Amino acid sequence: MIKLQNVNKYFFKGEPREVHALRDINLSIEAGEFTLFGGSSGCGKTTLLNIIGALDSCDSGKIYLQDKEIGSLDEESRTTLRLNELGFVFQAYNLIPVLNVEENIGFVMRLRGFSDKEIKQRVLEVATLLEIDNKLKSLPNALSGGQQQRVAVARAVAAKPKIILADEPTANLDSNNSKILMNMMRELNEKEGVSILFASHDELIMESVRRIVTLNDGAIVDDNEM
Amino acid sequence: MYKLILKLAWKNSFLRRSRTLLVIIMIAVSMSMMLAIEGIYDGMVENMVDKNKRSDSGDISIFAKEYRINKDLAYMIKNADEIKAQIENMQGAQAVVLRVKAEGLLSTARKSSFASVVGIDLQAEERFGKFSEFLKEGSIDLQKQGAIVGIELAKTLKVGVGSKVVFSTQDIRGEINSIALYVRAIVQTTNISLDNSAIFIDINQLHKFLGTDSKNAMQIAIRGEDKELYGKLKIAFANLDVKSFLELQPMIKQMQDLMIIFNSVTFLIVMGVVFIGIFGVMYVSILDRVREFGIMISVGMHYKYIRLQIFLESIVIGVLGYLSGAVLGAVLLTYLEHYGIDLSAFSDALATWGYEAVIYATIKVSYFTTTLGAIMAASIFSVIIPLRKIKKLNPIEVIKAEK
Repeated sequence: MIKLQNVNKYFFKGEPREVHALRDINLSIEAGEFTLFGGSSGCGKTTLLNIIGALDSCDSGKIYLQDKEIGSLDEESRTTLRLNELGFVFQAYNLIPVLNVEENIGFVMRLRGFSDKEIKQRVLEVATLLEIDNKLKSLPNALSGGQQQRVAVARAVAAKPKIILADEPTANLDSNNSKILMNMMRELNEKEGVSILFASHDELIMESVRRIVTLNDGAIVDDNEM
Repeated sequence: MYKLILKLAWKNSFLRRSRTLLVIIMIAVSMSMMLAIEGIYDGMVENMVDKNKRSDSGDISIFAKEYRINKDLAYMIKNADEIKAQIENMQGAQAVVLRVKAEGLLSTARKSSFASVVGIDLQAEERFGKFSEFLKEGSIDLQKQGAIVGIELAKTLKVGVGSKVVFSTQDIRGEINSIALYVRAIVQTTNISLDNSAIFIDINQLHKFLGTDSKNAMQIAIRGEDKELYGKLKIAFANLDVKSFLELQPMIKQMQDLMIIFNSVTFLIVMGVVFIGIFGVMYVSILDRVREFGIMISVGMHYKYIRLQIFLESIVIGVLGYLSGAVLGAVLLTYLEHYGIDLSAFSDALATWGYEAVIYATIKVSYFTTTLGAIMAASIFSVIIPLRKIKKLNPIEVIKAEK
């Protein structure tokens, strides 16, 4: 499903402060995986997630998504790819403040041109699964951190992407909310068959995932199936 | 999709309600003031044009070929009454009058002044230009050697209603003749030359006094705004001097041009203010939401939709400002159209330029349509610079920055 071949990424290339963020990354991720990119801060896990998510480009190597090379796509095509194939969950929730929960969850679906009926049905389905169906008309600022993160997950999953990329999704949550969120994401992975890739050093996530890819100084140093 | 963008634009327009309302009020107030100024400027000129047409030249005037160069009794239009009847039957001619004019000296027992006697048919003049509306004092009556005097001439000679004056001029035979006249009324036409020097008497009496043929006249004045009428008259009376209003009144044409410049300058200043107002609000609003736009891009929203959303936000503010300004402006213009603006304190100065002391505004649909177009343009152009910031936005930077 996702294949990375000799991927290298530099920051400030050619400058004295050059950073080799990813070193010769070779990686395969199959459909339905529940995988964590782990490692210490600054090891390159978020950069790897961003490159897989077509949010960033690599300096060398190839990235394949469904056998299609995505490393050389222009900005417009990368946006289309993100819209149609990927879902994102960010550390800081990043909901749209003027839209209510229902509209936030249906946001990506609207961008993809789903009908009103499809959106309404799917939003309710996902919101029920994530236990926020009683908050559909609330604005994000009226929700707790845990509820906001569940809305963010619901937004990511509602349009049925093939892969969800979650960068430190539990960083702003307490342990109880983190557990609830991880249980829900695992349920989504199992019920919806969606691949979920995490970038985190949260032990709770490490305990929940089925595969951990450990990075150190931009290189993969360990790859374990749990 | 477009419903979502419209919803986002609408909600974001009121995200900072007081800031948005302040800009809407600013647009509304400046626009309504601009509309009032436009209406007053146009009203001043149109009033002047209207009074000049009604009191003197009409939309078109016809003279004998040499008359405007040499105002001699010899240069009269022959058989003017037949020509008048012919013109009255032409399509587009609404009213036609004949006038006889002679220059001479108007005297009282103590003072005298240059004057131009105008022989008119009161009933025809009423149909032509509602002559009675120019009345300032007395009653409109030319019976029994009655005369109507221009307001400035009356001031010069210090005459009032009931005064006796003597008008002296050379008749058709070259003899100097005088006629005693009784001032029955004083009129103010705001036509500078008439107010300064005209004395109106009955046309038949003037013919008799001058010894001229009653079928002849110096001027045939025509009301009728049909553009083709001028061309038809030019062809039909090629042996006469056919002149349009603006040909006869080049100063009014200049005045119209000057008012267009005044209006354009006012318009540009107000639109500049509107542009800066919308630009300020949109710039701050967009900078406040850079992270939001970054997230939208990262989840797959194309830049073109964000651009559309921002344009719509700007247009929402512009349109609301426009609607408030249009309502306020319409109310203000309607008031000024009915009650006018009283500038009596400057009446002497205004009279010198041919303006009345009370100036009434004009309302034109074009004020509103042009302003709408300009506000739309200002709304669109004001977000171009903020949009460039969003176009350069790298979602990665936004996501990194939030951590």
